[in-house]
Amino acid sequence: MDFVFNIEVFATRFLGIFIEAVPFLLMGSLTSGLIESFVKSDDILRWMPRNRLGAALGGAFLGLAFPVCECGVVPVTRQLFRKGLPLPMGIAFLLAAPFMNPIVFASTFIAFGIGPVFIGRFVITLVVSVSVALIIGSFAKPGSVLKPLALAGGRHKHSHDHSQEHDHHHDHELATASLSEKLLHAVGVAGDEFFEMGRFLILGSALAALMQTLVPQENLLALGTGNVLSVLFMQVLAYILSVCSTVDSFLALAFVNTFTTGAIISFLSFGPMVDIKSTLMFTGVFRRRIVLYLILLPFLMNLLAGVFINLALGY
Amino acid sequence: MSARESRIDWAKLLILLGMGIYLTQLIISGNLLNYINQRFAWLAYVGAGIFFALAATSLLQRIKPSLHAHQHYAIGWDIVLVVAFPLALAVLIPSRSLGIEAINGGISLRPVGVGTAATFARSPLDRNILDWLREFNRAVPAEFNDLPVDVIGFVYQEPVHDDDEFMVSRFTLSCCVADAFPIGMPARADSLDEVAIGSWVRVQGRLQAANFAGELLPVIAVEVLEAVDEPEQPYLYP
Repeated sequence: MDFVFNIEVFATRFLGIFIEAVPFLLMGSLTSGLIESFVKSDDILRWMPRNRLGAALGGAFLGLAFPVCECGVVPVTRQLFRKGLPLPMGIAFLLAAPFMNPIVFASTFIAFGIGPVFIGRFVITLVVSVSVALIIGSFAKPGSVLKPLALAGGRHKHSHDHSQEHDHHHDHELATASLSEKLLHAVGVAGDEFFEMGRFLILGSALAALMQTLVPQENLLALGTGNVLSVLFMQVLAYILSVCSTVDSFLALAFVNTFTTGAIISFLSFGPMVDIKSTLMFTGVFRRRIVLYLILLPFLMNLLAGVFINLALGY
Repeated sequence: MSARESRIDWAKLLILLGMGIYLTQLIISGNLLNYINQRFAWLAYVGAGIFFALAATSLLQRIKPSLHAHQHYAIGWDIVLVVAFPLALAVLIPSRSLGIEAINGGISLRPVGVGTAATFARSPLDRNILDWLREFNRAVPAEFNDLPVDVIGFVYQEPVHDDDEFMVSRFTLSCCVADAFPIGMPARADSLDEVAIGSWVRVQGRLQAANFAGELLPVIAVEVLEAVDEPEQPYLYP
């Protein structure tokens, strides 16, 4: 077997991932635009739980209100941060929402029914997203976690110095606009959002396609049976494959005969939280150090959970 | 708005329009099925619709600048070029389904997913490669002796195979090509001279339990081997 890089295979794999993911990014961008136009910062501040745990728990279930997958969740999270969403809530939302939404509940149920896989995926997603949110959320100020663009009021490129003032002014301006003006504004924001986030999706898809074209999967499949190694492997696979959370259950079905149950559940709970393309999108929202935490913490926690399921629960 | 910003805005407009046209073209030509499972084809419709809406809004804002006083992000040429990359690939490289070049470490006899009662009820001649492999997992090889087979796939051969041995293969696709998975049925023909490795063939014959690359498997004893065009649906959907 030779490792000749075949540009046509790469193009097919890259465009396939892009075509499958881009509608979800577009829907996320539109949602972000609608939030920008119609949700006032004051409303968010009024409805937010005051304490950190409440905020993190609320964030974990916020996906039920904003059904987004891992491509759409990043622009929506950034927009919510700008509207003043508390840090723990945003992070829990970011990690949990790609699974914690009606669409992915349905696809997981269709693939696995209500059993250890569904329940495990639910519990692990909840525990990991809330824990990571609390850990990162306890880091002092949002300014040390978020990039300027994602900070409250950091919406416009001209607004660096007097951001709060400008933000209020902007909210006020929109409040008096007509419905069609607001809608037009929302779609305009969505267009810019698409370019801002789309570049990360494209770089990530290219990287994922490159890995798939160069690394033989079957070599890795040999690792599939150990209680620890299988979980580790499936998480790495989830990270590399970057498959959309709305359909990853069907993909996981492919592995149920080969892999341990813990590995399948970890694949399904870790994959939607972080993968190659979302990592790149995270860099548009968070500072580099935080992006690293956002990958490593969920990775380790999911690994522990998967190994625990294999060893202690003996599925 | 500076002349540079104006040029970038026009470039963005063209990319949005181009993406919409590209998705529409994939849908019309049927090439969409080279990339994603037909079950998710509706996503491309949604994507095309949103791209056209974004392009139209962008155009409206170009014509009546008062509607859009400020840019929301500082989007420069670097971002515009990255986002144009998929379009460049789509234009420069002809659309192709994954074929033999994409097989990266062997073919599996164990297919993705599980069969349903409906797939198992299919008569032998209606079964595709995926159906057959699911059947193979349910019984010992000898049980399939003399059953007739009529399947379409591409010719795949490994170094361990004898000259007359090959696998008639397909990729299965759950979602998109990210999860493409090659599967194949063992087959034995009098001569493979007429068909090229990697080309699409229709294989007719009967199953016979036999030793194939060191394993006892149901092997197609090929009666008719003919070259065919690539099917409109190049992948099988588990």
